[in-house]
Amino acid sequence: MSTVPVVRVLGVSKRYPLLSRRGRLHSLKGALLHGELWRREQEQEGFQALTDVSLEVDRSETMGIIGPNGSGKSTLLKLIAGILQPTEGSIQVDGRVTALIELGAGFHPEISGRENALVNGMMLGLSRAEVLARMPGIIEFAGLGPFIDQPVKTYSSGMYVRLGFAVAVAAEPDVLIVDEILAVGDELFAHRCLERIASLQRQGTAIVLVTHDLGLVEQLAHRALYLREGQAVVCGPAAAVVARYRSDVASTEAAVEPVAGSEQRWGNGAVTLDAVEILDAGGRPARLLRSGEAATLRLRYSVAEPQEDFVFGIAINREGGGHVWGTNTDIDGWHPRLLDGQGEMCLHIPRLELAAGRYLVDAAVHTRAGLAFDYACEVLSFTVATAVPWPGCYAPEHRWQPVGPSIDPPDGAIS
Amino acid sequence: MSLFLKPVGVMLDSLYRQRGLIWVLVVRDLKARYRGTFLGYLWSLLNPMLLLGVYTVVFTWVIPARGQVDVPFPLFLFSGLLPWLFASGALLDAAMVLPDNGPLLKKVVCPPEVFPTVTLLSHLFHHLLALPVLLLAVTAASLAGFMTFPWTMALLPVVLLLWVLTVGGLVLAVAALSVHFRDLKDLLHNGLNLLFFLTPIIYTLEMIPVPLLRRAILVNPVTPLVELYRGVVLLGKVPPWSVWVAGLAVTLVSVALGLVIFGRLRETLAESV
Repeated sequence: MSTVPVVRVLGVSKRYPLLSRRGRLHSLKGALLHGELWRREQEQEGFQALTDVSLEVDRSETMGIIGPNGSGKSTLLKLIAGILQPTEGSIQVDGRVTALIELGAGFHPEISGRENALVNGMMLGLSRAEVLARMPGIIEFAGLGPFIDQPVKTYSSGMYVRLGFAVAVAAEPDVLIVDEILAVGDELFAHRCLERIASLQRQGTAIVLVTHDLGLVEQLAHRALYLREGQAVVCGPAAAVVARYRSDVASTEAAVEPVAGSEQRWGNGAVTLDAVEILDAGGRPARLLRSGEAATLRLRYSVAEPQEDFVFGIAINREGGGHVWGTNTDIDGWHPRLLDGQGEMCLHIPRLELAAGRYLVDAAVHTRAGLAFDYACEVLSFTVATAVPWPGCYAPEHRWQPVGPSIDPPDGAIS
Repeated sequence: MSLFLKPVGVMLDSLYRQRGLIWVLVVRDLKARYRGTFLGYLWSLLNPMLLLGVYTVVFTWVIPARGQVDVPFPLFLFSGLLPWLFASGALLDAAMVLPDNGPLLKKVVCPPEVFPTVTLLSHLFHHLLALPVLLLAVTAASLAGFMTFPWTMALLPVVLLLWVLTVGGLVLAVAALSVHFRDLKDLLHNGLNLLFFLTPIIYTLEMIPVPLLRRAILVNPVTPLVELYRGVVLLGKVPPWSVWVAGLAVTLVSVALGLVIFGRLRETLAESV
């Protein structure tokens, strides 16, 4: 990876004028009547979208920008793209910039997809001849077939977006700016987009990516910038920055959401689960755990009617659906004798071999026949961070052993 | 001064670099305009022809115009109306062109001066398509002996250049200002209506009975440009130097105004539109 930054953002701040002030200046009539036409805006007025943000992106590097809504991510992208001008600071970009902020923006509904592709391609900085030379590739990638010569107003929204993406990547930009666009289109197209982005990465395109899909950032980005309220919280290796963001989100949620307050909960109340917690390797209640380290799930209970037939159960599910693993004392061969008073039941996991992501825990206490005393679904959520963004949900200890291939081991870069 | 000159330089440079895009956009505009119509581009010819036809009927048989001019009155009217329609059409479109292309300004990196330029050029294109109608009508009227053929027509490119530059400057100014002042469109609409009657298009200066009013109309900056246009294309008389100087002055002021206003506002357009 070369070390020449192609994007240099130095101490950039951006302030938007407030609507109230714009409202007053909005009409010429008001301006003429009140003599406010050239009234200067006052410095402290306006909405501060970004404060003193600096960023460098090298050739071939992909930079993810993450943060909650309204943290200034899109403003930063528009500044880098040159659509907006910074209030303070400077921005330097070498080479051709293509912004994928809204796919197919500015397509004219009355003219054909082919003609729109030509206009859009030229807007992205290609010459007419260049666009025409790439047209077969664009049509192929967009998968529009004969529809390419139909007016764009007849297109489905998926076709529209595919054509927009196909034109934008055909421009082979030096800097590609992507704002949350991969969420559109079907699964197949999303994969093709990702493939195309990966091939641009290999060709040396610097990519700045804004998305709420943290998995995507871990997958695509080398580094990431975490913005909050217009300020850079941390900038560094993508996995570490994403982990930091996840832990911030988790701790915000912990402050808001009671531990046991799930709506999907049932049972006859003979036994109640008072708290369900996950403890990290150090035995402290946690929301963010590291893969490969020890973890303990702790169920605290109190008993209203003493029971002789009881089973404690735990299930871990992936956020968004999918069982990961589950067990209970009955499956594991424990024989119940008496459950009374108050107490704890802990499930110790020596190595939490989960891949990065958010997980939800179901906890239950019931009879062996399945009659629920207290069954709480999704009573606890926790997040797992990994050093390397493996896909999937299982992250076992593993090692490659080449027998034959000439391949170098990682040079310690994987931390 | 560099505060004004620098953005103007940037603008002209970007216009030159985007010439390919501008051309493609003009073509797109024209294509989109007639997409789905039976007659297609013929409308660009038919519109002025029908207009001329209506004027001929009205001012020959319905309200016969008195012979203040030594050319057929419908032609007199038509030759004043053509450049006026070019200018007013372009200006009214200019007031909407940036808001209409807002998605492109906000979501694609696209220099804003491209859009008013496209507006100007597509209106110029329609004007150029209407010119042959005028030319044929003038030739026919000359052959029929209603008038002598105006050989001064050779000067038309020069006059047209003045018109294009003037309208271009105003289009830039209107486009940039309309982003900040949305009332400009309505103001312009009414202003142009008023100006139309203050300009010797449907009458000649000599027809005005009140000297004071005549003077007011002479002060109107559009008057010399209309006089020049009609002078060379119809009346066959090269207008006096004073009219040329006045026309040139109007052009220069308008171009300077357009470049400076647009240059000053261009960086704020994308976020305000």
